[in-house]
This record gives sequence, C-alpha cells and structure tokens, in this order.
Amino acid sequence: MADVAIFSEGLSKRYPGTDFLALNKLDLSIKTGEVYGFLGPNGAGKSTTIRLLMNFIQPTAGHAQILGQNIVTDSVAIKRQVGYLAGEIALYPKMTGRQFLDYMSDLQPPKNKAYVNQLAKRFQANLNVKIRDLSKGNRQKIGLLQAFMHQPKILILDEPTSGLDPLMQEEFFKLLKETTAAGGSVFVSSHNLAEVQRMCDRVGFIREGRLITEQSMAEIAAAAARTFTITFEGAPPRAELAAIPGAKVKLSGSGQVNVSLRGELSPLFKVLAKHKVAGIDQQELNLEEEFLHFYRAKDSKK
Amino acid sequence: MRPIIRWTLQQRKSSIIWWCVGIIFFVFLTLVFYPTINSQSAQLNKSFDQIPQTAKQLFTDTSDLFSPIGYLSSQIFYLMMPLILGVLAISLGASLVGKEEHDTTIELLLARPISRTKLLLGKSLAGLAVVLIVGGTSIIFTAVMCRLVGLEVAVMYILEAGLLATLLALSLGVVAFMLTALGRAGRAAGIGLAAAFALGGYILASLSSSITWLRWPAKIFPFNYYHSSELLSGNYNWANAIYFVAVIVACLVISWLAFRRRDLLGS
Repeated sequence: MADVAIFSEGLSKRYPGTDFLALNKLDLSIKTGEVYGFLGPNGAGKSTTIRLLMNFIQPTAGHAQILGQNIVTDSVAIKRQVGYLAGEIALYPKMTGRQFLDYMSDLQPPKNKAYVNQLAKRFQANLNVKIRDLSKGNRQKIGLLQAFMHQPKILILDEPTSGLDPLMQEEFFKLLKETTAAGGSVFVSSHNLAEVQRMCDRVGFIREGRLITEQSMAEIAAAAARTFTITFEGAPPRAELAAIPGAKVKLSGSGQVNVSLRGELSPLFKVLAKHKVAGIDQQELNLEEEFLHFYRAKDSKK
Repeated sequence: MRPIIRWTLQQRKSSIIWWCVGIIFFVFLTLVFYPTINSQSAQLNKSFDQIPQTAKQLFTDTSDLFSPIGYLSSQIFYLMMPLILGVLAISLGASLVGKEEHDTTIELLLARPISRTKLLLGKSLAGLAVVLIVGGTSIIFTAVMCRLVGLEVAVMYILEAGLLATLLALSLGVVAFMLTALGRAGRAAGIGLAAAFALGGYILASLSSSITWLRWPAKIFPFNYYHSSELLSGNYNWANAIYFVAVIVACLVISWLAFRRRDLLGS
C-alpha cells in the first residue's frame, strides 16, 4: 500500500430519499505519481466520488483512504496533503483574488510563500480585481492557484481546464507534469477527452454509479480503432475495404477514404496490396471516439 | 479557527458599520424628542389610560409610559431593540454557514485542514462578535443619549437591559443557526421559523398576563423571560437569564451534532 495514493473498496453512496446508489461499490487504486482520469457522462457518479473523497458527503458503504488515511476519520490530516478544485468553482465575489488567496493561506499556510506569487505570474492571474469582475477563465485561474499553492501531494480536480485559453491550458499541463515528477498524484474528473488524453496515465470509465472499466492510455491506444486516410490512384475499393472485419469506411474526397479499423491490421494491408496506393496517413488516437464507442457498445448490450 | 472568525468579520465589515449606523439613528430619533414628550407626559398618560390593558401589553410592560423608565422601556428596550438585534441575529444565524453551503464556498473551507467542529465554532463566534458589536454600540449610544436628553435611568441598568436584549437576540439567532446546520430546512426556512419563534413568542408573552391559559405555552419562548422595565429599575430576576444561556448552548450542541457528520448540500 506504500505506493498507493488513493484507494477505495466497495465505496458506495445512496442519497437520502432515493432508492438507487449514486455510487456503487467503487474499487480504486491510484498509484503515487499517477494521473488518473475519471470519465463518464453527467450523473454517472464522478462528482459523488470526489465529494466522498473530500469528506463533503458520507459513504453509505465501503471505505476509502488517501495516503493511507481514512477519508472520514482522518479527513483533517488528509486535507494537509490535498489540493482540491471543484467543477463549478464558487469563490467569494466581493473579495479580490489576493484577499481570497490570503484567506486560504491563513487556513493552510503555504510551504513556500513565494510559490503563490510564482504561480500567479505563470498563470497571469490578476489578483487585484474583485472576483465578481473576473471572467470565467480568470476565476478558474484563481481556483487552480488555491489548489496548487500549498504544493499538495494529491490533487483532486474536477474539470480543471474549464474556461482556460489554450496557452493557460498548456501552462496547466506543465504544472501537472512538475507535480507528478515530484511524486504527486492526480485524480481528475473531466468531460474534455482531449484533455484527459493529454494528461492521464490511466482512465476509469464510470456509468450509473459503477466503474465499468479501467485502462491505461497505452491499453486504450492498443485496443482503439486506428484511423487511416488512404489515397488511391483511381477509385477506392470501397466494398473490399468495408468487408474487412471491424472496419468502417468513409469516402473523404476523390480517390481518398478514411478507414477506421479496430483489431488486426493485416486484412487491410492485404487489400491495399492489390491496389495502387498514392498515400497513407494514420491519425492520432481519438479518445472521444473511444469514449463514444465504449458507451454505445454498453448501450447496445442493454 | 481564528482565520474563520477574522475573515468572516472582514467580509461583513460594511454590513456591521451600516447596522451600527442604523441602530444609532433609531436610538437618536427615539430619544431626541424625549424632553418635548416629557413636558406633555401628564396629558399623554391620560390618553394612554384609555387604551385597553391587553393592547397596552403589546408595546410596553409598564403602566407609566412617560416616566424615564417607562419611556426607555416602551420605546427602545421592550420591543424595538430586541427586534432589531433579533433580525440581525436571525439573518446572521441563517447565513453564517447556510450561505456558505448554498454558494458551495464551504467546500473551499473544508478542503483545507480544518474540522467541521472548528468551522462551526469559528462561524458562531464570528456571529457572536457581530451581534455584540452592534448590540454594544446601541447600548453605549443609548446611555450617552439618555445623559444628553436628561432621561434619568442608571447607566448600569441601561447596560443590563441592553445586555439582556442582546442575549435574547442571540437566542433567536442560534435557532436560525441550528436550523441551517441541520441541513434539511435551508436558509429561508431557518429565517422563517426563527422569526416565527421570535414574533409568536413575543405575542404570547405579551398577552399571557391577561390571558391566563397562555402562561404555560409562553414559557417556551424567550420574550417570556425578558422584562425590560424590571431591568431598567434594577428589579430583574437574573435567574431568568439562564433560559437564554440554555437555549444558546442547546442549539449550538444540536448544530454541532448534526453538522459534524452530515452530507453538505451539493452544487
């Protein structure tokens, strides 16, 4: 357990007045230094999991630990090591960013006071303006600063790049890398699949309160549909391509097709060997496609 | 816990100032005309005697409305000061934790290494400080104004009446605090039920001296233990104050028991 940052066993939550489990026997084991993405549609149980880990709500059954400490009984000690960012972050609108960070620093003095200013500089956060006058992106920066300012070992982040412009997203990814390089672990819930693809080592898919599967990014890439853009000299052999098991074929121009293939590649190359191919490009892994494929497949099994 | 108190007070700084300005203005307007009213007291008492006893008890607990004690009691301490401080205490009680929870800013606080017990204690001490600041300001200003307009009531008795009015307001505020800490009712219900407890209790306590069967139910409510004219004349039985302390302690204990392990409201 020494290298486990976040652990849960049978963690469940039923809200009062409901007859279903919002979270159903969640088993998690997130290693030190790992960035774990938590994916799922709205209402799947992502926020419930985060709120349980943060001890904002009480589990109905099961238990969980962060850095070996119980999330319910050792919550205060755990919070010394945790940085948290809520999905829809609520700040104090009448305070300036500086006042708000001072308040948070009073509650939890940062290890290095200069680090807060360094972070503010990195994210180009304007701390002298009242929070109510800031744009969503700028409020999100303040939210990120308060999560990172005490250099926590564990980060629990809900939609962390929401509202950030691409430059700031880039800065956030860098900061995340620095955190994990220093041994930090991250639990991130997100709808932004490109973001998850970019930062996570492993992804858990949750649906209707159940963790359906967990896969590393490498496993997803290996099992994922690979998409090729193939240019033929002459008419593409569409029927032959469509006959390949697991292939989806889409014409994308004269003589050009997009072939999305799940599974063995050799049948595709056998077909291509019979025709004159002018060019072939492989597109990057599309996690969004995987996400949709995953949930569609589950839907069809219902 | 200290940062919770300090920042809660900081956030409410302008509100505290305006409450003090408002209550000073009220005391000033009430007492500045006392010399004029005092000069016509015989005539005014005659008119006042025409009002039925039951109706009189709704706005004073003394038969001599225009004596120094009668005037100060009926115009400030019998109803208005407890009411004003009660409104302040109830709104604070409902919002100190309730607003943070409604706005989900409470998650920012509890994401830090601070226990729910300390959060609750910090918020309640901040609320106590606000009521004491506004109450203290009104008491001091009342004592000063009484000197200025020649309204002769011992300063010690004014302080005691003000202290008990503040204690009464606090006992109403903790009811709202407890109802929001319980979590299910929400802020609006906290305010509504605490206001009903205050006003219903006031009416019952006022009428209980005329309607005998109301005496027992009136004992549940704080106004039954608050007698401003007795306070201003130095005849108050301070054993009655145990009621206020008991209500405050009981509500805080219930708040703590309910809040320490319950689910926070979601965003």
